[in-house]
Amino acid sequence: MKIGLVLSSTPGYSETFFTSKIKRLQDHGFKVVLFTQSRNEDFVLCQVIKAPKVYKNAVLQLVSMILTLTKLITSVATVVKYIRLEREENTSTLNIIKKVYLNSHVLSQKVDWLHFGFATQAIGSELVAKAIGAKMAVSFRGFDISIYPLKNKNCYELLWKHVDKVHTISNDLLEIALNLGLSKHHAIQKITPAIDVEKFHKNGEEPSKQSVIEILTVARLNWKKGITDTLHALQILKNMGYKFNYTIVGNGDDYERIVYAIYQLDLVDYVNLVGKKNVNEVIDIYANSNLYIQCSISEGFCNAVLEAQAMGLLCVVSSAEGLSENIIDRKTGWVVPKCNPEALAQKLIEVLNLPEDQKSLIRKNAIQRVKSDFTIEQQIKKFVTFYS
Amino acid sequence: MKQDFSVALYSGVSKSTTFIERLITGLAEQNIDVYIFGLNNGKPQKSKHVIYKTYSGKLHKLYVFLKYSLGLFLFKNNEKKRLDRFIKSQDQNKFHLRLKYYPVLYHSPTIFHVQWAKGLADWMWVKDFGIKLVLSLRGAHINYSPIANPELAEMYRFNFPQIDAFHAVSQAIGQEAENYAANKEKIQVIYSGISKTSLIPFKKKIVSKKDDLYILSVGRQHWIKGYSYALQAVRKLLDKKVKVNYTIIGGANSEELLYLINELGINNEIILTPKMDYENVLYHMQKADVLLIPSVCEGLANVAVEAMALGLPVVSSNAGGMPELVIHNKTGLLYENRNIVDMVDKLLYFNTMTEKEITSMATNAFQKVSEQHNWENFKSAFYTFYKDQISIT
Repeated sequence: MKIGLVLSSTPGYSETFFTSKIKRLQDHGFKVVLFTQSRNEDFVLCQVIKAPKVYKNAVLQLVSMILTLTKLITSVATVVKYIRLEREENTSTLNIIKKVYLNSHVLSQKVDWLHFGFATQAIGSELVAKAIGAKMAVSFRGFDISIYPLKNKNCYELLWKHVDKVHTISNDLLEIALNLGLSKHHAIQKITPAIDVEKFHKNGEEPSKQSVIEILTVARLNWKKGITDTLHALQILKNMGYKFNYTIVGNGDDYERIVYAIYQLDLVDYVNLVGKKNVNEVIDIYANSNLYIQCSISEGFCNAVLEAQAMGLLCVVSSAEGLSENIIDRKTGWVVPKCNPEALAQKLIEVLNLPEDQKSLIRKNAIQRVKSDFTIEQQIKKFVTFYS
Repeated sequence: MKQDFSVALYSGVSKSTTFIERLITGLAEQNIDVYIFGLNNGKPQKSKHVIYKTYSGKLHKLYVFLKYSLGLFLFKNNEKKRLDRFIKSQDQNKFHLRLKYYPVLYHSPTIFHVQWAKGLADWMWVKDFGIKLVLSLRGAHINYSPIANPELAEMYRFNFPQIDAFHAVSQAIGQEAENYAANKEKIQVIYSGISKTSLIPFKKKIVSKKDDLYILSVGRQHWIKGYSYALQAVRKLLDKKVKVNYTIIGGANSEELLYLINELGINNEIILTPKMDYENVLYHMQKADVLLIPSVCEGLANVAVEAMALGLPVVSSNAGGMPELVIHNKTGLLYENRNIVDMVDKLLYFNTMTEKEITSMATNAFQKVSEQHNWENFKSAFYTFYKDQISIT
């Protein structure tokens, strides 16, 4: 069986989800081809077919269109079918020409499944799978379902009509998609993210009692991650006399926003922004931390929370989308309402004052659950059934 | 009569922010020749005293480069050689540096006034050619960028002691600049000036509130504007059974705001609009009950000055220079920066104020703006500010 994965670019070294998925699918006998806008030359896992370039210069664009469309001569039947399908959806002639050009790299291929890695990537290509005789799958990941449609009303109308199977990483995202018009009668499978539990493995016992609490968040510095809310909560703890070090691993566009919030909330001596770290460095940081916070405003599921649980950290997360499925409240960690620093602060104080045996139980439950429910092996098995 | 000195106002582009354009107008009205250098993105000033020496497009850049290379070679060859030695020592594209610097050296204004501090290092050389160097202290460049960027803070600490004079948009930002070795004696606060006559048609006539409290904010969506705090405050007001409508002019299409509005369930109460022209903003101010400034970082918001001149009450955070304009319970209401509970309290308090109290506050606000942001005072303050630099040798 041949699977065509549609992504914006070839997965980078650190994007373990897609690289491990491709490897394991190949191990299970699947052929995988990637359709992308850009290609990293280091990527050698599977065949990569790049989308045609869009030029600002009209002459270059015209030349590129002529060359690209000429190459489609061997796929005339597919192109004719595609044009017919677009006409049935009342697409204008000009838009059909544009779409044929933009989808030409897929129209010339034969695959059994055309799987769009994010729902946004299917926009403008909703009829391509049908034209090439493939089944169409789409993954829901977070931004594409929770945020993009707020700015682009009815953007998935055509996708809902033509998609054959849906992959969601959480029930919450699925719920939002249903509210956006996806029919519940569609074939839908929930496959959560997974982590390499061999790598994120707690070696020793619980961290010894420290006078200073080591708190951690691993996240891109972006408004969705709710780091300002976390800082507000930690300011409450600081004002109550708690001694802690809060480490934030990651970088991003909101760096200045977060540095300035740290400064204004008088947390300069309490917070360390350490930037992006490689996997081994992050593992060391997890190992030296007691408490993990993920107070996101919007979150698909969050691998970092799985890693933190596997590493035996006490996790306090917000109720944003998939996080409340990632953590079972009061069993494997704690879930607090999002955008509510007071509630987070209250919960942190409650957790810090729990008896040691209760903390140990939560840690144990979390490690156990990640080991049993969130391994890459299980995830791949589910993907194998997904395509069957 | 033409003044005996000229000023270059440098913001990198020919068409700049409202404040800078007002400054240009004010100087030109006093017969001061104002040079504008940099990239041409429009020439809004029509006065003969405003001299645009800008460049745009590849061919035009080449023309400007050749013209000023020849001009300097013929009339200021020694200075050109000195500047070329400096350019050679720089680790940047030499053509671009020459394109940027040659027109300035050729015209050699008496004062070179840098508007944005981040670009200061590029212009320190003008001092070696007898040009006075003045810097404006405004916005993010002083308030938070050097906190987030230690290299920038270091650049400020190195260069600020050599600046001839600083113009600060508020006392607060002046104090902030002192953290980066700006000499207190050289900092002069000149508040922005507005011409009240242009606002008369939009003067707010009715202060009584209708059933719904109509809150207005104006400004692009950026985290410093603090709109996420304001949206949460609106949710809390609704929970307290206060009917609210909140419009953010300039907030359209922000993913963060759209998401929060949806999550907080306040879609029916919020309008996000694209940026509007000045008259449209004034029209909305005329209709609103209160202007909310939820900024977490602010030099001194011009939009508050305009609102107060129109008679629109202001509720603002106490960020930056805002307390210099909004005096709590006198010329407006102030709440503690980043404190949603306090913001809600002040909005609730405003909602219970009587018509008489609101009128009194609006009158005080108008008085404050008339004194502190008087157009004629603004012009003469800058005139004296520049004149003082020339008299210092």
